[in-house]
Amino acid sequence: MTAPVLEVEDLRVQLRTPRGTAHVVNGLSYSVGPGETVAVVGESGSGKSVSVLALLGLLPARTATVSGRALLHGEDLLAMPADRLREVRGPGVGMVFQDPMTSLNPMLTVGRQLVEGIRAHGEVPKTEARRRAVELLGEVGLPDPGRAVDRYPHELSGGMRQRVMIAIALSNSPALLIADEATTALDVTVQAQIIDLVEKLQADHGTGVVWITHDLGVVAGIADRVLVMYGGRCVEDGTVDDVLERPAHPYTRGLLGALPDLTAPADELATVPGVPPAPTALPSGCVFWPRCPVRADPRCETEQPPLAVVGASGGSLPHRAATWCAEEVSLV
Amino acid sequence: MSDVLVSARGLEVHFPVRSGGALRRTAGVLRAVDGVDLDIHRGETLGLVGESGCGKSTLGNALLRLVEPTGGRVTFDGTDVTGLGRRALRDLRRRAGMVFQDPFASLDPRRTVAQTVAEPLEVHGLRSGRRERAARVGELLELVGLDPAVAGRYPHEFSGGQRQRVGIARALAGEPDFLVCDEAIASLDVSVQAQVLNLLRRLQRKLGLTLLFISHDLSAVRHISDRIAVMYLGRVVEVGPASAVGAEPQMPYTQALLSAVPVPHPALERSRQRIVLRGDVPSPADVPSGCRFRTRCPHAFEPCPGVDPALQPVGAAPGHVAACHLHGVVGGPVEREGTVASAR
Repeated sequence: MTAPVLEVEDLRVQLRTPRGTAHVVNGLSYSVGPGETVAVVGESGSGKSVSVLALLGLLPARTATVSGRALLHGEDLLAMPADRLREVRGPGVGMVFQDPMTSLNPMLTVGRQLVEGIRAHGEVPKTEARRRAVELLGEVGLPDPGRAVDRYPHELSGGMRQRVMIAIALSNSPALLIADEATTALDVTVQAQIIDLVEKLQADHGTGVVWITHDLGVVAGIADRVLVMYGGRCVEDGTVDDVLERPAHPYTRGLLGALPDLTAPADELATVPGVPPAPTALPSGCVFWPRCPVRADPRCETEQPPLAVVGASGGSLPHRAATWCAEEVSLV
Repeated sequence: MSDVLVSARGLEVHFPVRSGGALRRTAGVLRAVDGVDLDIHRGETLGLVGESGCGKSTLGNALLRLVEPTGGRVTFDGTDVTGLGRRALRDLRRRAGMVFQDPFASLDPRRTVAQTVAEPLEVHGLRSGRRERAARVGELLELVGLDPAVAGRYPHEFSGGQRQRVGIARALAGEPDFLVCDEAIASLDVSVQAQVLNLLRRLQRKLGLTLLFISHDLSAVRHISDRIAVMYLGRVVEVGPASAVGAEPQMPYTQALLSAVPVPHPALERSRQRIVLRGDVPSPADVPSGCRFRTRCPHAFEPCPGVDPALQPVGAAPGHVAACHLHGVVGGPVEREGTVASAR
């Protein structure tokens, strides 16, 4: 087996807030191989965005406490000095943020922003960088890249802006691409274009991808491996087939049941009652128990369940879930 | 009593596009809604889908005259609403409610839930006494699954899903016949979306509401709708029973749109053939001639640039219509006279 691009071990993030300490990420471990796509799924507040911002050192240092290890090709991102981290962002890790409307600089042309990224990580003459920028815009499927390069963000549609963001993230052929809800704001037709593009780049460059989303349909299409987050913890992980077709955790089951299915319309949707817990006041015991419809074990409310193997996996990865109720659930 | 509650004929909402300079000359016309014929039947849920910018929200607003149509006609329960005066318009607003997209922006942060829900009662003079009004507010909150005891709280004390319930309670205050839900679940988490979808469906059955459910989420629309209308660049291009449009779409645009919706089944998702459309949606200020989808259509052929297709019966299901020359060239280059999207 080839060495993983990224190995995250026991990542923890605490944020100081006026309401007390928020335990946003509570012991997250996963790895991403070359060309592999790991989908991190969960609802708002589950800690998925904060967990990747922490990897890139993008959380405010004054309020955030990050611990654990995150090895990018063996080098710990969390222990890196700031100037080394700046070198790594770009050729090491590219990131696409959720909102294409606000993550580009409105005062600079698309070309300037691309050239800036290219020249920051290598001795590239201006004209060469510009040529590369046009080429990249063409690769991400922007119509008429020769003219688009001189446009300002406001002159482009949401889908085009998101493609510019992706072009910037890919401009240094990163070993790892992090996409945080990169297609959530887009129409399904544009989403399909972007997904095709990322898959092509993965095939060409062997880029490892961490794809953060709440859309389990997208996950089914792109992911090799899935990690379900709830209350800052991984509550279930495994191959995409194991997690989506044979979900073991009551939360994963609830999420899948709550989805209207285009292929199999149902009369009434299953719902997960209640709302996710606040990271400032996580419940003791299993993090999901206050909303859990199963709650079949005396330990549910008192003891935190470990991430343990459930059932035989069809793939090469273990299928794991952090619940006391996996067996009871699978009998249903 | 006619079976049709809300009806649009040749409905147009055009906005002037002004040039930048000091003179602010009109430089063009943005055709947000551009000749829509649509009937909404009593007691049904009509799902309205399309990509962002296709005019679906503007159409919903125009039906309630929240934006003024620049052409065509809207009738509500047999009355032409395009010419209504202020007083009559207020009565229309009682009978036709709206649930907005953003439950964070559509509630006044300085008003309690009770004040927000009671406002329509005051405006329409529905319950006179203070006690009666409070009782009605309690009833409405219960109806949407909120504890009447929360009436004295402010919006910031609620989660997104709860706020959306408050928005629905407000929309129901005037006992409307018709409810427009404009992306009402778009800003909610998956588990909460399901709660609101179930609620809307229950309310519709209980109160006999007619619902226009506008959304870009095709799975949700397919779930909640009796019929589905598909919009592209200001036009309704396909309408039919939800099962027929969902399973056997007849217009190439609808086919592409549906094929792009990811489904949460890995094996199925891997084997599905996605129709990836080339290019972006043209600007509604510069609509292509003839069929407006032709610039991205994988099946475009000779008549498409010259003849603007009219809606015509397609497929096996009764009431399924689409505007596409693949089903026979119907339509005219200038004025469209044709089948109306109402046949059931």
